Amino acid sequence: MAEIYKKDINLGDYSKEDLIKFYKEMVKIRKFDENLIRLMHEGKVSGFYHSGIGSEGLSVGSIVNNLRDEDYIFYNHRGCNQKIAKGVPLSKIYGDFLGTIEGTTKGLGAGIVHSADPSRGVLGQCGTIGSQFNIVVGTGYSTKLQNTDQVSVCYFGDGAASREPLHGSLNWAGLYKLPVIYICENNGYAISSTLEETHSVREHIADWAWGYGIPSCVVDGNDVLLMNKVVKEAIDRAQRGEGPTFIEAQTFRHRGHFEGDAYDYVDKAVINDWKENRDPIKNYKKLLLENEICTEKDLLSIDEQLDQEILEAIKVAEEAPLPDPSRIYQGLFA
Amino acid sequence: MSTKVKVKTISMRDAIIEALTEEMERDEKTVLFGEDVGKFGGINAVTKGLYDKFGGKRVFDTPIAETTIVGAALGMAITGLRPIPELQFGDFVGIAFDEVFNKLGKWRYMHGGQMEVPVTLRLPIGIAGGAGPEHSQSPQALFMHAPGVQIAIPSTPYDAKGLLKTAIRDNNAVLFFEHKLLYGMKGEVPEEEYLIPLGKADIKREGSDVTIIATALQVHTALDAAKTLAKEGIQVEVVDPRTLAPLDKETILGSVRKTGRVLIVHEEPKTGGCGAEIAAQISEEALFDLHAPIRRIGSPDVPIAQSIYLEQFYRPSEEQIIEVVRELLEY
Ligand SMILES: Cc1ncc(C[n+]2csc(CCOP(=O)(O)OP(=O)(O)O)c2C)c(N)n1
Repeated sequence: MAEIYKKDINLGDYSKEDLIKFYKEMVKIRKFDENLIRLMHEGKVSGFYHSGIGSEGLSVGSIVNNLRDEDYIFYNHRGCNQKIAKGVPLSKIYGDFLGTIEGTTKGLGAGIVHSADPSRGVLGQCGTIGSQFNIVVGTGYSTKLQNTDQVSVCYFGDGAASREPLHGSLNWAGLYKLPVIYICENNGYAISSTLEETHSVREHIADWAWGYGIPSCVVDGNDVLLMNKVVKEAIDRAQRGEGPTFIEAQTFRHRGHFEGDAYDYVDKAVINDWKENRDPIKNYKKLLLENEICTEKDLLSIDEQLDQEILEAIKVAEEAPLPDPSRIYQGLFA
Repeated sequence: MSTKVKVKTISMRDAIIEALTEEMERDEKTVLFGEDVGKFGGINAVTKGLYDKFGGKRVFDTPIAETTIVGAALGMAITGLRPIPELQFGDFVGIAFDEVFNKLGKWRYMHGGQMEVPVTLRLPIGIAGGAGPEHSQSPQALFMHAPGVQIAIPSTPYDAKGLLKTAIRDNNAVLFFEHKLLYGMKGEVPEEEYLIPLGKADIKREGSDVTIIATALQVHTALDAAKTLAKEGIQVEVVDPRTLAPLDKETILGSVRKTGRVLIVHEEPKTGGCGAEIAAQISEEALFDLHAPIRRIGSPDVPIAQSIYLEQFYRPSEEQIIEVVRELLEY
């Protein structure tokens, strides 16, 4: 059965630079998100957007200082967090939302669902949520056969975990000992239904992995350093040839399922508790200050620098032209 | 075939094995997998000998998990391998529909054209030996409606080998449909390497009175009918598209303009079969070259019975073809 992952984190194990990098990446993601929502309200971006506010710790912890460009990820539909942490330039992601040729899809306007940056190992997302379970065993098999030490990381929500392909995927990954890391972003809700309403598990979703002989654990996904550690261990395991790991990371979403969702199916007090007491950024900031890693002033200047960076990225994305109508005929075949 | 080319006579099964062997030797990134395709050599014996030759890493048995087989193929393809998955029966493509329709066909496009999807998915099709309603179908037409996947459907050992080699080398997804009754059928294949491009139809028999457009096993039924009709002085032209996507409209329209009479024959249910699309394209572009309505012969629009006695009535017959050709000539 899945264990609850606990480790004493010693800040001394990290350089000051790295500790600040975690902060910076989390804030960058949050500001990206807030600015995107602003653009939506200004009527510049349309379509469905699933905000990642609240789970920055999970994405940054798993990716930053852990994954290299050559390591593959399949992000989830709340996954701008993961794309940014993996290094996709902000202007490219904004470009996808704005539908200009600056976007990774060069004007297709793929938005949250389909941007990709193969040069940074960002291989895309499935609009049919959870279909990445099958694809990731292919990338895992591929790197294993080609004798590289690359790992493939598959992000998905607790709701997506009910898709049948998860089981086919776990069976293959366990059977062929594939270097695949499953990261379940468990925010307790699939749109409006809760985990308990939709899953038959012993206790945790991660318990399923136990049945396939795959090491598994449940971890506080809002603790960026803990997240960093548990994923590091999974990477080491994969690189030692010991196969997959299943990590169920607990978090919460501060906003509704998508922008425009009234979010009235969750008790206000619960949302407020996560916002006030369990915000990954707030808590991490407190940790940095209490341990005198940096000062309030240092952090403020990082925030300001990021604001600037984001405005510049939006400008680049916004100023790029919309594609020529013939764009729709491009890119179907290689 | 010209006399200069050295040829051998082999079955379509052996032609496919040759294509797989040659391409796996040529590129070590090629991997082949599916249910029982390894040591056992496949339930249709189409991967016989490959496990011994290339080892269990490049030729491997998978769990019974069609969604995972096709999904994994996509993952392998976008990360540097050249996967050749096999579904035991083409009917099972329904289980992996999302993976074929929404993933293989769209991954490249929807992510901005940044990846290659060199997957060759092999799917045995067709009515054969009382296999029943879920193991006898020919679902290729479904994917003419799925931009992003190519569809190959050979009728001879020669075409199967040349098309399969091209499909494997192609950097896009190809669905490769093989009629089970053709596996044992023999034909001439050159000793030397050759490739057949996707999107190039083949005129299997020339004629001036009626064009029959047929696929897979039905190419042979049409050729038999043409032979019988020739005895009465009726010259039938038999066109085999060989690939349904891309579809060689030029060759098809050229033949239609020559004969002015068209019959399309396939084993799929008539409604919504590939003949529906081909007929629509002909009527859009060559209506005034026609002397008679376009006719189609397909399977009846009902599931295929398990009974070996009954199943023959689902398969278009030589007699049906002869009758329709005669009707076409009455206009
Ligand atoms: C196969 C499939 N079924 C349903 C949907 C519609 N849908 C999109 S997101 C979602 C909920 C996903 O919940 P979860 O995986 O927990 O992620 P969260 O949104 O909570 O981050 C649903 C039902 C879909 N996109 N694909």
